[in-house]
Amino acid sequence: MKARLSIIRYVVVALFSLLTASFWALQMLQHAKYQELADSNHQRTLPLRAPRGLVFDRDGRAIVVNRGSSSVSILREHTKDLNQTIRLLASVLSLDEAEVRAVVDRHRREPAYRPITILQDASLPQLSAVMAHRLELPDVVVEQVPTRRYLDTAAAHVFGYVGEVSDKDVAEDESLHSGDIVGQSGIEKIYNGLLMGVDGARRVVVNSVGREMRTLEEEPPTPGKRLQLTIDADLQKALQDAFAASGFNGASVILEPRSGEVLAFTSVPAYDPNDFAAGIDRATWSSLNTDQLKPLQNRTIQGRYSPGSTFKMAVAAAALEEGVITPDFKVSCPGHAVYYGRSFQCSLPNGRGHGVMDLRHAIEKSCNVYFYAVGNMVGIDKIHKWASLLGLGEKTGIDLPNELQGLVPSPEWKRAATRTHEKWYAGETISVSIGQGAVSLTPISQAVYISTLANGGTRVTPHLLKSIDDGGGWTPAKVPAPKSQVTLKQETIEAIRDGMWLVVNGTGTGGRARMAGYDVSGKTGTAQVISNEGLRAARGRTDRDLRDNGWFVFFAPRENPRIAGAVFVEHGGHGGVTAAPIARHVLETFFAKREGRPLPPKPVIQGAPGAPGT
Amino acid sequence: MFERRLYFHIDWALLAAILALCALGAAMIYSTTSDPTHAGTSRLFTTQLYAIAIGLVMMVVMMTIDYRAFTDKSHLIYIALLGLLLYVMFFGMVQMGARRWIPLRVFNLQPSEFAKIGVALVLAKFFGENRGAPGPLDLAIGGALTAIPFLLIVKEPDLGTAVTLLPIFLAVAYLAGMQMRILGILCLCALLAAPFAWKFAMKDYQKQRISTFLDPSQDAKGAGYQQIQARVTVGSGGLTGKGFRQGTQGQLRFLPVAHNDFIFSVLAEEQGFAGVSVALGLYLFVILRTLEAARLAKDRLGSYLVLGVLASFTFQVVYNITMSAGLAPVKGLTLPLMSYGGSSMIATLAAFGLVLNVRMRRFTN
Repeated sequence: MKARLSIIRYVVVALFSLLTASFWALQMLQHAKYQELADSNHQRTLPLRAPRGLVFDRDGRAIVVNRGSSSVSILREHTKDLNQTIRLLASVLSLDEAEVRAVVDRHRREPAYRPITILQDASLPQLSAVMAHRLELPDVVVEQVPTRRYLDTAAAHVFGYVGEVSDKDVAEDESLHSGDIVGQSGIEKIYNGLLMGVDGARRVVVNSVGREMRTLEEEPPTPGKRLQLTIDADLQKALQDAFAASGFNGASVILEPRSGEVLAFTSVPAYDPNDFAAGIDRATWSSLNTDQLKPLQNRTIQGRYSPGSTFKMAVAAAALEEGVITPDFKVSCPGHAVYYGRSFQCSLPNGRGHGVMDLRHAIEKSCNVYFYAVGNMVGIDKIHKWASLLGLGEKTGIDLPNELQGLVPSPEWKRAATRTHEKWYAGETISVSIGQGAVSLTPISQAVYISTLANGGTRVTPHLLKSIDDGGGWTPAKVPAPKSQVTLKQETIEAIRDGMWLVVNGTGTGGRARMAGYDVSGKTGTAQVISNEGLRAARGRTDRDLRDNGWFVFFAPRENPRIAGAVFVEHGGHGGVTAAPIARHVLETFFAKREGRPLPPKPVIQGAPGAPGT
Repeated sequence: MFERRLYFHIDWALLAAILALCALGAAMIYSTTSDPTHAGTSRLFTTQLYAIAIGLVMMVVMMTIDYRAFTDKSHLIYIALLGLLLYVMFFGMVQMGARRWIPLRVFNLQPSEFAKIGVALVLAKFFGENRGAPGPLDLAIGGALTAIPFLLIVKEPDLGTAVTLLPIFLAVAYLAGMQMRILGILCLCALLAAPFAWKFAMKDYQKQRISTFLDPSQDAKGAGYQQIQARVTVGSGGLTGKGFRQGTQGQLRFLPVAHNDFIFSVLAEEQGFAGVSVALGLYLFVILRTLEAARLAKDRLGSYLVLGVLASFTFQVVYNITMSAGLAPVKGLTLPLMSYGGSSMIATLAAFGLVLNVRMRRFTN
């Protein structure tokens, strides 16, 4: 019996030695490994989203701010059964399970500590449903995400919109992470680097069911830089109100003619950038994309339209600067003219003529015959040269993405553009002289053109950014250098300004923009979207709107202009009827504000939509 | 009955080691169950203190009466115990899917914990009265005496506690001189029976626990979870541990029932290998000291009784500690003297009352 007790003792001692050795192995030899496992068990890093920088107008009024929103995300770090989580979360949030799964699959290869956002801008009932199921969803977190709020929604095309960064951008830019919200268009995109802040992080201790117990450390997010735009919110509103009252679509940009600061900028129809702020839903996105009126297109910088008579000052400038004519050069207008075997009509109905015209009055009356003659004398090369120097057919370099280049044709262009390398026919120059033919221009380039005429030859670069606050106060942004500079002859400037003044204040076509005492100078334009023959053939056989496009380009006052701009009214018919009143409301607002008078009320403009074009 | 001189023969060293383990356990229970955001001590901690107090009273009672008086009445105690187990089977309280408890005012009595003492007493008596090595018939009767409460407890179901009865029989029979050949045959039978048990007797969750044990990663978030977490808990403790109440695994509930089945894991996490060494040393001391009591016992009856009690205790200690390091399948077995649990604490202390009893009466007649 004693022997057996001894055996038992040895067995016990052996067992305990084995146990001690096991604990030694776990606690001493493999300590580092298990320490790491224990840490990752109970620590979580939650991103703290940085708010994007606020955007102000030139008077310091906030126009783009942020609002709080909650998004629901899955944090996979400790997920036991991802399928189960997806299933439950979809039912809790009343979302389609397949969609939730698709979102998770898209982010599956990212590090597990980055939350996968399932639902942005969750509603209160959805949030409370998630809270109620918190124990079953330990790996679901609700993040506070600052979300963009655009106070002035109609300036949509200036702001652009934000959205989740694309995989391609993440691959190209190391500072971007999947799931980041970045600017996709407008200043949100161009100045994304300034507007986007740096996300912070919070390391927290969680228990086994994912509840936060305490915060270990917190690295606060750095908000994006605040930007001040050159936009004047009052003027912007006036421009939008005027467009709304006209009932037409179109585009317009108003500049400070010496610096190129953009005072107002619109493209109609617009979208609501707020729809994008918290992730746009599929239905809204596809309706924006399939809309025949193309609300996503920024007509101001991407629409290219025939400028019509607004082009005539470019022809005049070319002729005067090249010394082909003087302002007193006279042409007699019988209502039409024949060039190269073809008859070209003047602008008056029923073939009536303007009689004898000099340059000033030819601009005032928009006499085609005068410009046919001048254009023919100057030639296409000189027209192209001077139109380009004034800013036409060139990119303006505005600080917005995806600006398109217009076209002022030239023989070189024609050779390159046609398959058979066709040569230029002199007859084409006649059409170009009155802004028809192949000439097609963006509204922004028209505004730069008119600013160049207003300031005496400096082709300013239009820009939207006025100053930047990187946390240490406002610093003025660098003003972009002019694209080109020529010194126009005083004679040229005087003659063109006189002509444009007469358009508005004489017996010209722009009388609807007249403001007593402010010497508004402008030029109307009415451009066919289809030839007369084509119009006759297509009548009643197409749904396309075939009415003429209307233009009004202007600056004011005549001496030392403070404001310049271009208004383009899509299918608005005569520019003097539809576009000039829009400009007038903007000008009234501009001068009223400048002189401290009450701003004019919202306009009611005749020329309702559906009115036939002239 | 209690002679004054017996007082001097009490094994104070053993008692001190036992109390040290109780204190260590209570401290760990305090650590895992008190909520730092609320003032005051946890309810579980206070309950444990009461259980220790009651257990010490029971220990004194068990010491005071000569152990031979207990063994003489062991058949009555045994029958009363079976009665209690039957009562539980029909009227017991159900918790966590098992019918194990008789609800009393202060705590819930778990008769299966006391079955160990009953079985130890009856087997000590049975083999103690036999002269010479037990023959097959003796072993069969002894086996049957063990099997009846075993089956009753298995039915509750509480396989873990039931299994702790088997070492009692094996140890007592072994000490009584059971031939090694028979022991070998028993082991062989057990091996042969295992596949049948796997197929017919075991419940799915039990099968899963065993298959998971063999490869925890196959079910890292399910049944293997506790095992992996146990290793992480122990391993992250290092040499000196994370400090009292500074553990993350137990405190943040990555380890389930930390105050109960996994109390030793918490000790390992918060006090490190140093704390583990102290606790293992204390347990080893208690076991060796108790073996000494078995050796010194005046009669075979005393030796058998001490060894029976010790066998169950040792089995449970070794198994629980192995499990708490994630090195054995997770089974609902408490760690005697340290785990939270009133019945277990009282029964264990009462059992050690018998051990002290045998030792201090080694010179009496």
